Amino acid sequence: MTLHLSHEQLCDLILADVSLHPESEPWNDSRADSDVVHEHLQACLICSAELRSLRDSLSHFREASVSFARQEFAQSYARRSSIAPPHSYLSQPLYWTAAALVFVAALFPLSMHRQRPAPPVTRTAASSASLQTPESDEALLADIDQKLSADVPAPMTPLADPTAGATSTTSNSDQRTN
Amino acid sequence: MASRAITSDTHSVTQQSQATPLDDMASIVATYEQRIFRFHLISIRDRDVAQSLTQDTFVRAWAARDSFRGDCSVLTWLMRIALNLIRDHTRTDRFRFWKRVSETAVDVSDIASHVPHRDSSLESRLIASEQMTLVWESVAQLSDRQRSVFLLRFLEELELSEIASVTGLPISTVKTHLYRALASIRARHNTTHKDEL
Repeated sequence: MTLHLSHEQLCDLILADVSLHPESEPWNDSRADSDVVHEHLQACLICSAELRSLRDSLSHFREASVSFARQEFAQSYARRSSIAPPHSYLSQPLYWTAAALVFVAALFPLSMHRQRPAPPVTRTAASSASLQTPESDEALLADIDQKLSADVPAPMTPLADPTAGATSTTSNSDQRTN
Repeated sequence: MASRAITSDTHSVTQQSQATPLDDMASIVATYEQRIFRFHLISIRDRDVAQSLTQDTFVRAWAARDSFRGDCSVLTWLMRIALNLIRDHTRTDRFRFWKRVSETAVDVSDIASHVPHRDSSLESRLIASEQMTLVWESVAQLSDRQRSVFLLRFLEELELSEIASVTGLPISTVKTHLYRALASIRARHNTTHKDEL
């Protein structure tokens, strides 16, 4: 006979806590063992104190975890729900200073671009180029047409038939023969 | 014409028979998001990672909704996905797990302020805070499997059969993990009390 509860008996008591639905636990079948354990707990102050302390520890752990997770979830949900910065940021002068700097930095290149005049030479050249472009295109097309319609170059001309004269002679002689 | 009507009726009946509770994902998220987030947060102890894994849990649930056969509750099914994601995360980040120092990591001091104070005395507050810290630190020393089983039982208050379904372990193995986890906590508990005495 052991003086105190075994580790398994103590664990079974913790696992079979009322808040953890004791009816469905499979290790609660042996009612006699459970009675013995409860009788021991009533008699043994050490075991009952340890059981109470462990239950309290687990209970505090759970309640603190649940409360902390609830708070963190609410904060993350609020962050997701709003794209605006939180109020604590809005009240800080540093936040507004940073926002103003970012705004000015974004506008600076734009204003520089508007203030700078474009060089006139470039504009003239561009305009003349834009005017000359259709004319030059037409001239180029006309040149291509001319080349295409030109005579076949000399090296590509077909050669004269050297038998042209002989054939006519032969035919003449045949006619004569016939 | 008549055959087309019959075909469309058959199609709608087939669609109805294939409908799962996960089709209404908006209500599923609204119902279980906070709980899944809590499990991730206390398991991983990192706010950003917990948020990311919570979203991943529902994305995976939506992608695999056709495989949900309804032989377990939706919560159990979601917890199974969540646990797999935690395993994947700890596998890739194994050596820095629990020891990583980041801005979003949860410290015991963050959670100590959430210990309930039913008694207004300073002594009872300190004792409650010490007890919570003891369990918090003990859980960090558990193996991955023991920690998961412990949190499913003592944080999420799942039945042993549900834990067995989530983890894929036999109930006897779940009980063994719980015994060992409680042994670790009990040993630390007794050491602390001896030091105090």
